[in-house]
Formats: sequence, C-alpha cells, structure tokens
Amino acid sequence: MSALLSFNNVTSYYGATRILKDFSFRIEKGRCLCVLGRNGVGKTTLMRTIMGLTDRSVGAIRINDTELRGKPTHVRATYGLGYVPQGRGILSNFTVRENILLGTFARPDKSGDIPEICLRIFPYLKDNLDRRAGLLSGGQKQQLAIARALAVDPQILLLDEPTEGIQPNIVHEIGEILKMLNRELGISLIVTEQHIKVARKLGDAFLMVDNGRVVAEGPMTEMTDTLVERHMTI
Amino acid sequence: MDLGSLLNALILGVSIASIWLIAALGLTIIYGTAGVINMAHGELIMLGAYSSYMLQFYLGLPYLLCLPASFVVVALVGLALERGLIRYLYSRPLDTLLATYGVSLVLMQGVRLIFGSDPKYLAVPEIFQSNVMLGSVSVSAFRIVVLLVTVLLVLALWLLFYKTRFGVQVRAVMQNKEMAAAFGINSGRIYMLTFALGAGLAGVAGALFGVLAIVLPTMGASYVVQAFLMVVVGGGSLAGSVVASGVTGEMQSVFAFFTNDTLARFIIFVLIVAFLRFRPQGLFAQSGARR
Repeated sequence: MSALLSFNNVTSYYGATRILKDFSFRIEKGRCLCVLGRNGVGKTTLMRTIMGLTDRSVGAIRINDTELRGKPTHVRATYGLGYVPQGRGILSNFTVRENILLGTFARPDKSGDIPEICLRIFPYLKDNLDRRAGLLSGGQKQQLAIARALAVDPQILLLDEPTEGIQPNIVHEIGEILKMLNRELGISLIVTEQHIKVARKLGDAFLMVDNGRVVAEGPMTEMTDTLVERHMTI
Repeated sequence: MDLGSLLNALILGVSIASIWLIAALGLTIIYGTAGVINMAHGELIMLGAYSSYMLQFYLGLPYLLCLPASFVVVALVGLALERGLIRYLYSRPLDTLLATYGVSLVLMQGVRLIFGSDPKYLAVPEIFQSNVMLGSVSVSAFRIVVLLVTVLLVLALWLLFYKTRFGVQVRAVMQNKEMAAAFGINSGRIYMLTFALGAGLAGVAGALFGVLAIVLPTMGASYVVQAFLMVVVGGGSLAGSVVASGVTGEMQSVFAFFTNDTLARFIIFVLIVAFLRFRPQGLFAQSGARR
C-alpha cells in the first residue's frame, strides 16, 4: 500500500543552514503520527517543509503519489493539507467567521461555505462567529485554528504543538477532539508534541527527532522510557 | 465674519477632499496590499488623462465612457508593469521605490516624445461646464461629478474588499502572506490584481483631473505629493485615506478662507509633520506580518 504522505531523504534549509537532514518517514491513511523531540531539533521545520514554507528543500515529498517538490505553498494546500501552525497563525483583524472561511480557499471543491463540522465540534466558535479573532483566548484561538484547518476538508491535519501554552483542562479537551477526528472521521494526523502523556494517548506511531534527523520510529507501544530519556530530557 | 462664505468654504472643502482622495485611492490600495510605494502613481494618473484624450480625439468616445475606458487602459499598463518589473521586487521594498521612480521618468518622457509638451484639453458635455447652486453656494458642476465618482469608487472598493471572496483573499494576504498561502491563496496573483486595480483607479483620477486642469506630461507630479500624504496620514487603509482626505481637505479650504491657499497648504504640511511625529503609523494602521 502506498503511503498518504512520505518523505524520502529530504533535506530542508533556512538560508544555507540545513535544518532537516536526510529525513525519511511515511504515514498511512487514517493514522496518527506523533513527532517528538526537544526544542529546536526541527519539528516545526518538518511541518513547514511539508507546506513548502522553508527557503529550500531537496529530496522527494509525496502526497498520494503526487510529488510536492517545486510546488508553491498555495498549491500544496489544495492537496488536502490542513495546517495548524505553531503560535496558531490566527489573523487577528479577521472575525472568527473570516478565519474559518480562509480555510475554504484550499478546498478541492471550491465551496465557499463553512463546513458544518467546524462549528459542531466547537460550539464556542459557533456562538461568536462575528467576534474579532484577536480578542479570543489562547485556547479559543487554538480551536479556531483547528476549525480553519478542518474547513480545508483535509486528508491530513498538520498540528504543530497544539497544546502549547494552553491551560490543562483545555489540553485534555483538544486531545479528545483530535482523537475523535482521527478515529471517527478518519483524518490522518501529524502532531508535534512535547507532552509525552498526550502523545502516548493520541498516537499510533511516533517519530523521534534529534538534531534534524530521525533517530527512532515505530508504533507508539515501542516508545520506551529509555528513548524518551535519551532524546527528550535536557 | 461672513457665515455664508464659511459655508462656501466647507462645501469647497468636500470637493477638495474628493479630489485628494481619488488621487490617493490607487496608491492606498497598492501600498496597503503589497507594501509597494508606487512612485509612478502620478504618471499613471497622467496616462489616464492621455488615454481619455486619445479615446476622445481619435475614437470620439463620449466623455463619461472615457472614465471606465481609462480605468481599463491604465489597469492594463499596471498589469504589464507588475508582471514585467514589480513582481521581482516584492521582497526588496527600497528597490521598488527606485524602480517605480525610474518607471515614472520613462512614462513622463515617453508621453512627451509622443504627444509633445504642449497642453491637451478634454472636452466635457455642456452640462458639466455650468455652475450649480447649492443653497447660496455656487459650485462647478464638474466638481460634483468628481465627488460622485469618488463616492461611487469608495463604495465599490469597500464592497469588493469586505463583501466578496476576493476581498477576503486580499485582506488575508495583507495580514499574513504565509498563512494565506498555507490555505491556498496565491499571493502573487492577488498582488498582480491589486496592482492593476490601483493603476486603473489612477487612470480614472487622470480622466477627471484632465478636465479640472490641463493634460500635460508633467501633470502627475502635482497630484502625487498630495496622494502620498493621504496614504501616510491614513496609514495605508481605505478608511484611513477617506478620513485623512476629508479632514485635510476641509482644513485646506477653511484655512484658505481665513488666510490664502499657499499659507493654508503650509499650515497643513506643518500639522501633518506634527501628527506623524506622534503617530508615525498613521490613523488606521495595518497590523500584520506582511513578510
């Protein structure tokens, strides 16, 4: 079976600096892959490389056997990638509604309506569609960022530190929502995470990154404490 | 003090404001969206006037049709300019300044070579040459045309930017180009279209200014400073330019009523400098990570 998304010896640059080095991995349809590692090892760069937001990358990146190399970000977005960036990337001058509508520009069917699912799972957004997004709290912004990515009608959600800077009870709630999107709607997830607990609950598989390289990978059950200690403790 | 003439000054102020605003509209949109300071804006206005002149002289097009036609002609010039030059310079703002200044010289000299330095005139329907009485105040009918066109254009732009999907795309690119791209918006295409739109608006302004004054290769220079001031004071947004033009237009007119035109302009420049000392980002600043 061919992978939904695969990297084959990808090296990605900011300027002349290599951030990802000979990076290879694959994710099958409907799975949840957790990307783990310390700060600054290239997890965010991995996400940005998928979206084509780094300065340059070499190596093969495929989604459903379509080669992404050389394709600009706005084209990649239309291949079913729903991106939830680090820091959430909410447009603060836009209303909640406009932020979600932004996601619809990457829809393959070109529909301009907010998909029903976006509002069903986030009742707060539904009740505050005309609120200026800059006024939302961190957790609400994260919900909005996920709703916006869902408006793409994605095959894969790319979630960069979705629980970063969010109060603990909402961390749990967002974890449950991601699990539901993955298990019930069959959306594949690539999640970078610092919370080992969240990762263990959510992921089918893990990818341990250190210094821009894949140092370990496998099913989540094989992520031992020794691995965590070696590559994640400071 | 004569209340009647003060009222006259206030009404004249609205007219001045509309002239300054329509001169600034295209510049506002290009600067606000792409962050390009288009030094050739005055020459695009000039091209609008010459387009109208040619359409009238060679094709006998009625004046009112010259307005949309000049929009199209100058928008096409803007499109060519963006595709051929500006698009390579978006990440180098200082270079766009120089490049567009160069373009302005080329356009000015090019038009001078083709049409010569002698002034051209645009013919308008009889009815626009008369004066209209508004209460006790007499206003030239053509200035009312300018005001109406300005109001219509501002309204159309507002609808375009705030009520259409194209507008959402433009405003998304203005706020965060990277996130806009991550959701399928082609910022290069948006920049291209807004540049063409801004150029087209300059074309309409030119078609109007060619009637208010005479058509000359150098006519752009007299409007472009005013237009820049409106953009800077307004902060690069549509609302900002509307308010900036309204306020400064009225001030110009009222100060001129108490003193004279030259001194009024001097006072306004001083006030603008003082204003920018305390609010360098302008009235309604765009917040956003453009690049």
